[in-house]
Amino acid sequence: MANNESMKTMHDRDMQRVSVQSRIMKWVVKFFTYAFLLIMALIVLFPFYWMIISSLKSLDEYRWSVPSFWPQTVMLSNYVDAFTEANLGRLFLNTLYVGVVSTALSLVVTVLSAFAFARLEFKGKDLMFGALLATMMIPGELFTITNYATVTQLGWNNTFYALIFPFLVSVFYIYLLRQNFMQIPNELYLAAKVDGTSDLKYLWKVMIPLALPTLISITILKMMGSWNSYIWPRLVANDEAHRMVTNGLRNAFTATTGDVNYPVQMAAVAIVSAPLFLVFIFLRKYIMAGVSRSGIKG
Amino acid sequence: MKKIVALLLTLSLILSLGMLAGCTTTGGGDETDGTDGTSGGSSGTTSVGNFDIPEEGYDGSEVTITFYHTMGSNLSTVLDLYIEEFNEMYPNIHIEHEQVGSYDDVRDQIKTELTVGNQPNIAYCYPDHVAMYNLAQAVVTLDDFISSEIEVTHADGTTEILGLTDEQIDDFIEGYYAEGAQYGDGLMYTLPLSKSTEVLYYNKTFFDENNLTVPTTWEEMEDLCAAIKAIDPNCIPLGYDSEANWFITMCEQYGSDYTSATGDHYLFSNDTNKAFVKTFREWYQKGYVTTQTLYGSYTSGLFTATDGTTSYMSIGSSAGATHQRPTANSDGTYPFEVGIATIPQVDADNPKVISQGPSLCIFQSDDPQEVVASWLFVKYLTTTVEFQAEFSMVSGYVPVIKSVEDNETYAAFLASADGGNNISALSAKVCLEQEEAYYTSPAFDGSSTARDQVGSLLAAALSADDGGDVDALIDKLFAAAIEECEYHS
Amino acid sequence: MVDSKQQWKAWLYLLPAIVLLLVFTVWPIINTVRMAFLENYRGLEATAGATFSFGIGNFVKVMQYSKFLTCLKNTVLLCVLTVPLSTILALLIAVALNSIKPLQKVLQTIFFLPYVTNSIAIGMVFAAMFNIVGSFFSTENEIIVTAGIINNVIEFFGGEHINWINAGSSYWANMTVMVVYIVWNALPFKILVLLGGLQNISTQYYDAAKVDGTPRRRVFTRITVPLLSPMITYVVITGFIGGFKEYTSIVGIFGETMGPPDDAGRLNTMVGFIYDALASSSEGRASAAALILFAIILVVTMINMQVSKRSVHF
Repeated sequence: MANNESMKTMHDRDMQRVSVQSRIMKWVVKFFTYAFLLIMALIVLFPFYWMIISSLKSLDEYRWSVPSFWPQTVMLSNYVDAFTEANLGRLFLNTLYVGVVSTALSLVVTVLSAFAFARLEFKGKDLMFGALLATMMIPGELFTITNYATVTQLGWNNTFYALIFPFLVSVFYIYLLRQNFMQIPNELYLAAKVDGTSDLKYLWKVMIPLALPTLISITILKMMGSWNSYIWPRLVANDEAHRMVTNGLRNAFTATTGDVNYPVQMAAVAIVSAPLFLVFIFLRKYIMAGVSRSGIKG
Repeated sequence: MKKIVALLLTLSLILSLGMLAGCTTTGGGDETDGTDGTSGGSSGTTSVGNFDIPEEGYDGSEVTITFYHTMGSNLSTVLDLYIEEFNEMYPNIHIEHEQVGSYDDVRDQIKTELTVGNQPNIAYCYPDHVAMYNLAQAVVTLDDFISSEIEVTHADGTTEILGLTDEQIDDFIEGYYAEGAQYGDGLMYTLPLSKSTEVLYYNKTFFDENNLTVPTTWEEMEDLCAAIKAIDPNCIPLGYDSEANWFITMCEQYGSDYTSATGDHYLFSNDTNKAFVKTFREWYQKGYVTTQTLYGSYTSGLFTATDGTTSYMSIGSSAGATHQRPTANSDGTYPFEVGIATIPQVDADNPKVISQGPSLCIFQSDDPQEVVASWLFVKYLTTTVEFQAEFSMVSGYVPVIKSVEDNETYAAFLASADGGNNISALSAKVCLEQEEAYYTSPAFDGSSTARDQVGSLLAAALSADDGGDVDALIDKLFAAAIEECEYHS
Repeated sequence: MVDSKQQWKAWLYLLPAIVLLLVFTVWPIINTVRMAFLENYRGLEATAGATFSFGIGNFVKVMQYSKFLTCLKNTVLLCVLTVPLSTILALLIAVALNSIKPLQKVLQTIFFLPYVTNSIAIGMVFAAMFNIVGSFFSTENEIIVTAGIINNVIEFFGGEHINWINAGSSYWANMTVMVVYIVWNALPFKILVLLGGLQNISTQYYDAAKVDGTPRRRVFTRITVPLLSPMITYVVITGFIGGFKEYTSIVGIFGETMGPPDDAGRLNTMVGFIYDALASSSEGRASAAALILFAIILVVTMINMQVSKRSVHF
């Protein structure tokens, strides 16, 4: 009995030791995870910090040989300068319009194409997909001149069409979404077929909810693209009614000598980025851990 | 395997389609009026203008003129003011002006727009840009306008001649005006709007304390650098902003070859040039001089530094005078006073300084009236004393016509010149005093490459490891620069 | 499987994309090919009515360029070095981010920040971090005004400062800076994509692993990576395609000279070369170089796909 007793306690102690050990392991892992993430976060944060302090420096201070880590005099006037130059309300409205419309249309086109490539079988599928990939391999700068000629011929200069359509389809996103769709087991689709569910319904009810994080990533990227594009809009939409926010703000960027006034430019960028940042905070929960998958058989 | 075949098929499909398109273009008969100018506008030897002025000149019709520039908001305000004045004379000429970005942005934008004929009417330009636009034969030559005697009528009934009067031509600072005709065919392509040059900024307080004199020649500069180094061993006596300007200016000062607008373009590889490059390398190795790229930050930042390593002289753009002034103390005074002088010369009696800053060019248009109206506006901006005065005071550039100095406001501006608050005026004053010294270099398709190459060449020659044989290094660098130029032409 | 109904339906789904791509992507590519095969084609001269004969002169000219091999070598090297590194790092961050509870929101937000940070700002930071301000390096007159943050750190730990990007710097020092910079630049997008992919892995797999008591490392290599493989493939392939088009990041650090001041053009890439040609309106030469680049990327992508096909889970 006594023997038995001691056996039992020894066993317990072992169990305890194991669980302590595994708990320590857990903490160590956690510690390293956090340390890793925090270091990477610092690295990622640094340019952002630099952008903000640069936007608050005077041009003289910006030109110092030894860069300062905090502006000697905080120049909020850079923000005022960036603001006053342009008809900001109109610019934001234009950009918002182009951003929302092109993102929405782009999502539709992307979802349909990605679905066709991921789930449907048709002749020439590989050829088509290969061709699409191939188009990504030519540097886009070469397209500018030809596309500009096309847009002019279509009579689209100074219209929203010219800002929306030429870059609506992105093979980059079609490919991304196709890969995401391929993560979803094919059995689900076949089962739906047997049930007589139509493709579109299946797409809407199953695929899209499952691919939501990726779709939101695409939305953000596309919005960023519209928000930040500069060279193309300047070429095709130069009038007040269609000008985009980066083009308008760029006016404040150059000093009299034609040099770029970096502090004001940074301020302008910060102004332009702020709305996007807010949008991200709002959408974040959808990208991360917001979607429950428990109802779907894996 | 399937995918490989697919990709190869696609590739060959695209290739063959492209060749087809290529063939149709070359075979097509729609472009057969083979004018001799197609080999590049600048090489044409015929000194005939490319625009026929309508007999009636400007007929008073409604036209809208677009004008691309790089002006920030403070300058646009000045421009707007004078557009109003201009419209009192010509109410039917509507000027739409737009800041496109930097000079390079203006060039790239127009380059693309030219391919479909969407170019603006007037643009800020540098000679290199015009040489490029000339490939499309898109820039209107101005000689016929300048000499035109056609009378045009203002809204109030008064008249002016379309062209420039002799007084107006003589009023231009010669070096600036000559820039318009440096394209190898003797024709005028641009009028100067507003100019700058390089000047020598020096720490006047330091110079006075140590009884140093401002150098007028490069020989004096070398001695001075040695003297300054003896006073402050941890300094870099001289900072030079732009290697390219330095090289080109030295060619001009020595009278040695740099480039030519016609024939063999790239002539800069010669013994004189190699000799001065070698001398400056010695200076660099002795710690006398640095440049913006070698220093790794703005040389003006080095010059204005008040503690640690500093420089006592800085050669940079006259339009950037405010950057060369140290940050003011809290009581509004400056840590030291800045002096400005003409840059050192090879021959102080025959000075040469570079001419920079925007000119204006006019583009071809389907409507001749637009071209004529553009000319009227360009003429107005470049010859109106009040505009030139005000524009210069706001921008830090110098006016292109001499009579601005008689303008009361501008004269007062110049009189206020000092090495502190009114440093821009001081810089302008120095620029205007050296009006005989301005030169411009030839502009042709490829002149910007030459400029980039000699800049890199000098930077490398100053700092690169010579492996014991300086001459071999310099020969190699010159040969490489020439090769790059030839390749890109 | 392939019934005719699915055939036309598939094409119907693809129609909008195809139409737009034909007009705004395929046609420009065809035009690129056309320009590449017209001798010395220049857009501005064409505007003035010049005609060009058909030939392969542009290709010959590009291949003969003395720095062509330098451009090619830099391009390939940057690609091979940065793509694996950034992918692995992004994967680790994404998995780590997915596995934590406290601070998760804050960290996610921080990792998103690069999207709203201007690329010029990122370039400026790097210049400031690696740049030595001063002159006359490795002569007796050497003057260093500031050695930069990175060198300060190295010196703090007792090391010698390194000339990273200034005059006299070595090729490999330059390369190191470029690799760090490009990886840094590439991280946010990859993290976003992989995070999205991780969300698609059913928690049931992990629950099952938990019940079995599978160790973490095995969970990572046996569940996470295989199930994430389509996204990893995507990130690698697009990474390579993007890597071959590297140009702006080098301008960000070294400026238009594409190299340290004493050796301009040392770090130039294929696209840098194409840019130069475009800037001087030599579209024929630019197109030829682009097609050569296209051929190279095509081969690499095919190899990539073959490899991934064998290792992808689906």
